[in-house]
Amino acid sequence: MQLHGWEAVLFYVLAFMTLIMGVFVISARIAVHSALFLISALVNVALIFILLRAEFVAGVQILVYVGGVMVLFLFVIMLVQTRAEEESRVRLYTGQTKAVYVIAMLLAFAFIAAMRPAQSGFQSPDATAPTQTSADRGTATGQGAGGVSEDTQKVGSALYREAALPFEIASVLLLVAMVGAVMLARGSKQEKLYE
Amino acid sequence: MTGLLLEWLIKIAVVFAILLTAVAYLSYMERRVAGWIQIRVGPNRVGPLGLLQPLADGLKFIFKEDIVPLKANKLLYIVAPAAAIIPALMTFIVIPYGSEVVLFGKQIALHVTRINVALLYVLGLTSLSVYGIVLAGWSSNNKYSLMGGLRASAQLISYELALGMAIIGVLVLTGSLDLVNIVEAQRGYWFGFLPKWNIFLQPVAFVIFFLAALAETNRVPFDLPEAEAELVAGYFTEYSSMKFAMFFMSEYLNLITSCSLATTLFFGGWTGPGVNSYPWLSIVYFVIKVFLLIFLFMWIRFTFPRFRYDQLMRLGWKFLLPTAIANVVVTSTVLLLVN
Repeated sequence: MQLHGWEAVLFYVLAFMTLIMGVFVISARIAVHSALFLISALVNVALIFILLRAEFVAGVQILVYVGGVMVLFLFVIMLVQTRAEEESRVRLYTGQTKAVYVIAMLLAFAFIAAMRPAQSGFQSPDATAPTQTSADRGTATGQGAGGVSEDTQKVGSALYREAALPFEIASVLLLVAMVGAVMLARGSKQEKLYE
Repeated sequence: MTGLLLEWLIKIAVVFAILLTAVAYLSYMERRVAGWIQIRVGPNRVGPLGLLQPLADGLKFIFKEDIVPLKANKLLYIVAPAAAIIPALMTFIVIPYGSEVVLFGKQIALHVTRINVALLYVLGLTSLSVYGIVLAGWSSNNKYSLMGGLRASAQLISYELALGMAIIGVLVLTGSLDLVNIVEAQRGYWFGFLPKWNIFLQPVAFVIFFLAALAETNRVPFDLPEAEAELVAGYFTEYSSMKFAMFFMSEYLNLITSCSLATTLFFGGWTGPGVNSYPWLSIVYFVIKVFLLIFLFMWIRFTFPRFRYDQLMRLGWKFLLPTAIANVVVTSTVLLLVN
């Protein structure tokens, strides 16, 4: 998919904001602020999804990450005392800084090197399809009384037709994690207490 | 293009004005209903029948001293009320409050906008509204506020699951995340008299949705985040003046949105007899349905005592969520067998 005009501009603005927020996440002194910057980074990513017409993924991103996971993060952070970091008695960065610059540069090079061949071999999925402007598309999906948006159907069928096994494995993994968490939280002592 | 933009702007302005007026008068209605149920008087001095009371309250809020606690995290303390009220105001734009009417020779659909993932949009914004509460609790630097904020977030997360699961039942029936399609699917009658509302197909889902909506809007019997006997006033203990009013407004806005969503999902939205020939009637039907649901919310508030915290969690996780999941499984199975 290729973005044109204001959409491309918007993409670069959002991508840039996401990166900036990411930097703020690790440089903020107050842990709650870090969490809030992470939330805005996640919201930016959701907006990029909307720009790419993946509305369902955007909705799920907001629902799961921003509405669920991050609330739990905040929940824990608020109960933890981080006075020392806040009052700048503790240095946030030690000798890591220089190493970080070097590694970040290397990563950037590796990324560019990896992208180049991929880009030339990349077949845009809508290159063959007749080009649609966003306005056309909006009316097409808005007036089509067909039901679920294209995107929602695509995600659903991809999950259950092509990725059924990984999907199930992931859910089993989560189930195991959940049982484990309950085991840890309710130790044998507490079990006896209830009996 | 400019015509469309103008139409949007006008619709947004109209909905905004109506919502804020409705919020003001809900505070009046709540006190009158409370007075009526508890055999008291309620506000009846300002204007005829006390109808100007919300105006007087608004003026009072504006002129009250605005206090920021010395040790509060100032920025977040100021941002929190906005974070509470903005999502509450944004949710209503996808709700269809009427069919199509002709105005100035132009066909106008009575919803601000129509997006194909409207339900996800509503749920996403509802889950964002928890941040206003949590941040208010944390930034006030007050232990009652913090406890209130934490309670609120735990409660919202727990009941959001049941709420989403209950909605999936309707979703499976309609096969659309678009609220306009969901309303359209509920037009017409069964056997010539029974309206095709989803509540008759999904009664269990409606009960779960209703209970979860009560919890999501922090109303009695689920108003633990602001249980005054334990937490002074919960997360907004330190707030005063318009900031306090903004939390209040966001609560009423969430109430309106929940009831509108319940109407749209389960009671046929704006459908009703005579809508085809008189499209303006659809707004009347919509408002009546929402109003009755809001009255039910208030009725419950002044009838039931508050839950204990462990009871609240048990109800959410051990009763509502399993029932909602079972409802989804049964609905999909039946649908699969019928088709």
